[in-house]
Amino acid sequence: MEPRSKRRKASAADPDSWIAYPVLSAEQSQDVELVDAFAAPIVDRKETSRLVRELNVLYPLNGLQHVKRVRARKDEGGAGAHPLEVLVCRVSDAPSTLLPPGGAKWVGLGEPFVVQVPARPPLTRPQFEAASRRWPTSFHEDKRVTVALRGELFSSRQKAAMHRFMASALTAAEAARQLGMEAVGAVVVDPEKERIVAVGHDCRGEHPLHHAVMVCIDLVARSQGGGSYCFDRFPNCRFASPNDLSAPGPYICTGYDLYVTREPCVMCAMALVHSRIGRVFYGAASADGALGTKFKIHSQKDLNHRFEVFRGVLSGPCEVLDGFRKEIKE
Amino acid sequence: MGTEEGRKTDLLESFCPNDEEIEKWMCCAFEMARDALENGEVPVGCLMVYEDEVVGRGRNEVNETKNATRHAEMVALDQVLDWCRHNNLDVRHTCEQTVLYVTVEPCIMCAAALRLLNIPVVAYGCRNERFGGCGSVLDISSADLPHTGTAFKCVSGHRAEEAVEMLKTFYKQENPNGKKNNRFLLFRHVWQFFFHLFVLFYENG
Ligand SMILES: [Zn+2]
Ligand SMILES: [Zn+2]
Repeated sequence: MEPRSKRRKASAADPDSWIAYPVLSAEQSQDVELVDAFAAPIVDRKETSRLVRELNVLYPLNGLQHVKRVRARKDEGGAGAHPLEVLVCRVSDAPSTLLPPGGAKWVGLGEPFVVQVPARPPLTRPQFEAASRRWPTSFHEDKRVTVALRGELFSSRQKAAMHRFMASALTAAEAARQLGMEAVGAVVVDPEKERIVAVGHDCRGEHPLHHAVMVCIDLVARSQGGGSYCFDRFPNCRFASPNDLSAPGPYICTGYDLYVTREPCVMCAMALVHSRIGRVFYGAASADGALGTKFKIHSQKDLNHRFEVFRGVLSGPCEVLDGFRKEIKE
Repeated sequence: MGTEEGRKTDLLESFCPNDEEIEKWMCCAFEMARDALENGEVPVGCLMVYEDEVVGRGRNEVNETKNATRHAEMVALDQVLDWCRHNNLDVRHTCEQTVLYVTVEPCIMCAAALRLLNIPVVAYGCRNERFGGCGSVLDISSADLPHTGTAFKCVSGHRAEEAVEMLKTFYKQENPNGKKNNRFLLFRHVWQFFFHLFVLFYENG
């Protein structure tokens, strides 16, 4: 779609030079939240299963189902330490008498003490590992998230395609820079057909709200027979003409991917929610960015559409472009 | 530099519409919303006022443009920009003294757009529980975003129940469409579905 010389320049770095990491939700990325609970050593190991049964009846651990009832102490050999400990209840749930008098019921249980246990089930492997250091925790692993966090979600074939799309966005960004606009470019892609639906760049010089993403959204609308603006005078703002597409397009951006050189601002991020974008890939983070830096609008609770976001695609060249912008400003 | 900044701060601090102005312009916004309702459109009224003159007004244009960002506020902001161009006025200077009157709290996107154009005050009727950017979902109006224009002040609650009622009426009206019976209906049906999706967020949940 763009001149060969420029494409070669934008693709100077190869797909192995960058890694795409997922931008997870606040809940997925936060530190493990802890809650105070009473635990007690099991002084007579033979009583373990009976004690667990008794405690399950007395304190069912509602809301703490992700925490294991019993833990084996690692420092088993330590002086005076008992190898097994059992969770009694949350401190906030404890009555004044922790264990009601029950004759033989509590035989084999030692003196209760306070521990901190994870308050919520872990959502990611890093959260699981951090939680397990506090108290043994069960984990329903989303393998896809684990692989994504290792930066290994995309095959080399997929990465080559992602590289190509971001290179187009970079070409558009470079064109914007030469026009005196902000050096930001974006590309909307139909991932099933692996084809570009629209390419656009920042046009803030013409209209203060024409950020690259807003331009692209309107270009997609034009490709579907709508649209509010005309960007024909900018050769690097283009859309695939409707008769070009064999089937009628989806509703707005449903199922489409967006590649953008810089993390979108709040306006652009919310515009992508309204447009039902499928996934967003960006190169460089931005100071007021709304897809990871200041907000995570793609995973904001209460909003009716969520989408996946990956950062770091062609991060090197995208950051260089951004650096250039900062230099101009200073 | 220092005096310039000082002048701006003074301007922003002293710049806020009085009750009378709010009453008057919100009345216009409500008239627009009612007019939209009577014509089967999303009942949101929105106008932008600079020095006692309406310099922008808008209604939702999402369906006809197939662009989901064409909210009433975005349409009105475009008119303000055109008005500035036409009158040869500086955009920033004009926007810094322009008030938005709108029957429903602006969404997150529109709130950010208002910041980017340095609109200092927004008066709105009811909350927007689904997408609101002035506190209902996120507070973009006052968030610490040094690279996203300037924070703005909100005056909310003016005739809020009325704004909600209009949205509810609209939503109820749009539902029973079983009476119509032509080929156009299927097409209309599909668009109405998305129309409803869009309307949902204006309905105070
Ligand atoms: Zn933006
Ligand atoms: Zn809006």
